[in-house]
Amino acid sequence: MINTLPALVIIVPLLAALVVAGASFIDRRLCFPIGVAALAVSFVSAVALLIQVVNTGVAMEYRFAGWAAPMGIVYVIDHLSALVLVVITGVALVNLVSSRQTIIWEFQDKEGVFISLYVLFTAGLVGMTATGDAFNLYVLLEIASLSGYALIGLGKEQAPLATLNYLFLGTIGATFYLLGVGYLYMATGSLNMADLASILPGIKDSGIVLFAYIICLTGLFVKMALFPVHGWLPGAYSQASSPAAGLIAPLTTKVTVYIMVRICLSVFSFDYIFNYLDAGKIMVWLAIATIVFGSVSALAQTNYRRMLAYIIIAEVGYMVGGFFLGNRIGMSGAILHIVNDAVMTLCLFMAAAIFAWKTKTDEREGLKGLFNTMPLTMAGFVLAGLSIIGVPPTCGFFSKWYLVSGGIAAGQYGFVAALIFSSLVNAVLFFRLFEICYFEPFVDHHHGAAHSDSEAGIQEAPMNMLLPFLAVSLLLLVLGVYSGRIVTNIIYFAIPAGVI
Amino acid sequence: MKLLGKLTVFLCGLLLIVFAGQFPDFGDPDSPAATHLSPYFIQHTMADTAVPNIVTSVLADYRGYDTMFETTVILTAGLACFFLLRLPEDDEKEIYFRHRPTGVTLRIVECGAAPEDSKVFQRIDSQWVPSDIIIRSTSRLLIPFIQIFAFYVVAHGHHSPGGGFQGGVVLGAAVILFAISQNLRVAIAKFSEKTAAVLSAAGVFIYAGTGMLCLMIGENFLNYGALAPILGTDRVMARSYGILIVEIGVALAVMSVMIWIYYNLSSAGKQDEGL
Repeated sequence: MINTLPALVIIVPLLAALVVAGASFIDRRLCFPIGVAALAVSFVSAVALLIQVVNTGVAMEYRFAGWAAPMGIVYVIDHLSALVLVVITGVALVNLVSSRQTIIWEFQDKEGVFISLYVLFTAGLVGMTATGDAFNLYVLLEIASLSGYALIGLGKEQAPLATLNYLFLGTIGATFYLLGVGYLYMATGSLNMADLASILPGIKDSGIVLFAYIICLTGLFVKMALFPVHGWLPGAYSQASSPAAGLIAPLTTKVTVYIMVRICLSVFSFDYIFNYLDAGKIMVWLAIATIVFGSVSALAQTNYRRMLAYIIIAEVGYMVGGFFLGNRIGMSGAILHIVNDAVMTLCLFMAAAIFAWKTKTDEREGLKGLFNTMPLTMAGFVLAGLSIIGVPPTCGFFSKWYLVSGGIAAGQYGFVAALIFSSLVNAVLFFRLFEICYFEPFVDHHHGAAHSDSEAGIQEAPMNMLLPFLAVSLLLLVLGVYSGRIVTNIIYFAIPAGVI
Repeated sequence: MKLLGKLTVFLCGLLLIVFAGQFPDFGDPDSPAATHLSPYFIQHTMADTAVPNIVTSVLADYRGYDTMFETTVILTAGLACFFLLRLPEDDEKEIYFRHRPTGVTLRIVECGAAPEDSKVFQRIDSQWVPSDIIIRSTSRLLIPFIQIFAFYVVAHGHHSPGGGFQGGVVLGAAVILFAISQNLRVAIAKFSEKTAAVLSAAGVFIYAGTGMLCLMIGENFLNYGALAPILGTDRVMARSYGILIVEIGVALAVMSVMIWIYYNLSSAGKQDEGL
């Protein structure tokens, strides 16, 4: 049973997506339960895989169609991919459960197809994470991208235009990656990652390999919205409908960062990138530019979701910079931040979904007085905000701690400064939001002008929106408390042994 | 900004060409691509899968897992078109009927009692033109042959150029030709949107389901060899049959997605008055 788990984690959502697509034309009520059940099975499998990998300490291999590695396609579940699998399936499941009302309300007779695309998107990300084949990764990237465009496209008025931008840039990014894989195939004759990794050191002087590396990475940078190729992200994420944004915003950039880590470590090897090419420094500067740009742009936004989108760009800078510091502690921080940031972003976008449900607007001013009407939601929101800022004991603090320590160890003080700057900016942003929610409208006790508001009483969101949201916000604390364990038990083994 | 864009594109193209110059020569038997994996496929395909066409065996067996997702990509495109384009059927302000015996066109405004679609009355589009007998007859003659050819292409992927994708496209084209030669309304009456949607999901389901069946028998996903007892052959022939089964699934999915996308694109999502 354990041996088939790497297949089940993706096959179950895939089959469910097909069933949902068909069922939406037969009986629409079946769609939501099937989608949830499939993602639940996938999540449980991912957790079981993680436990298995942590206990045995060896990577699991699954051979599709029974063919061994370079001939056929294999899935390789090691510490790193198992961790990211749990994050992907968990985020997708929680977000789907919590957005039932919104899906039915927003898409009416298309809810079945929405859920089908939603599950397909998740399956695409899961496959990208689990695969050990460079071309198979591209195929699944296509699935995730195509369904992602569709999910975002049916959002607010500006959504089609934003999606078109995303589609152009996303296609260019994916094509670059494909070209890179093509160049690698030309140079080595293989598509399997482990096989590539064994051939590449012998031909590392080849210009084809160098260019393959550059172009693969450029493609991934477009997909993860690193400055200056970030242009598609703010529009796409702020215009998407809340259920789609809650799925896509926490996962896409993080999974792309994971792929970058995978390509760099499992295909090109640590030695090639940091010792032979010595590419670390320039990448860190790119990351610093991303962090500063993302943070400063976030300051300028009055639209709440747009502000979150720019924060996501800054967070991409954290992870890319942390990885390219090239030391163990920085890389640990980057990988830990993949997990933490996915949960934090999920939490913030779930809050956004609740606000949108309540106030019908994404503008900052629409949040006035929410502390009075939705105290529980606001409690969760404050936790998420503190975590993004990096206040202990929330998880955001710990990944930042690793990143800052890594920056100091590597002597990259610019990166450390950028991290601190960004944290301060986040503090400004979120405390401004808290202020609006808490103090406005200003209650004039003498005239009782705002009396009617406080009399409106507590009006929380529906239970199935609120409970998952609160669970996720508490998870931020749990992740924070267990950060050390995650790093020593899982992430430590995800980084090649030679890295100090 | 425009100049910067042009410069970037130019630079990218230049780099691609420069580095492509380092490629092994075209058709070089000593290039890595020709020496690493290809010999294995050339020597073992027949013994492993009993398929003379190496391309087919790599596509649908050695790397069949990729192909399953390529089919899913096509389904996703169909779903995306439906999701983004399809408009709800609102109550039309006015509908048109043609009285067949006399050729008189009736325009029925809101709430008017509409006649049934029958031998006497035909529901038509506002832009209706009498269909051309030459186009109609030619299409009617051609379509069965196109479909038979498509089945040949699907079934013959093992031996010659062909397979599910190509056959599916030809099958879909036959229905689209029918839709163009008549009109969208008639085509939808013969091959409804629901049929297209359910069949396209079913096509991919045949593929993934075959894989799942192998998994349930207790072997790896998509390992068609596991189907040998069900198909009543040895493991090698079972692989060959397995490829045929999934190719049929691919053909079904490609055909219905093409039709589905055509319905949505040609009528701008209204599925009413199309080309």
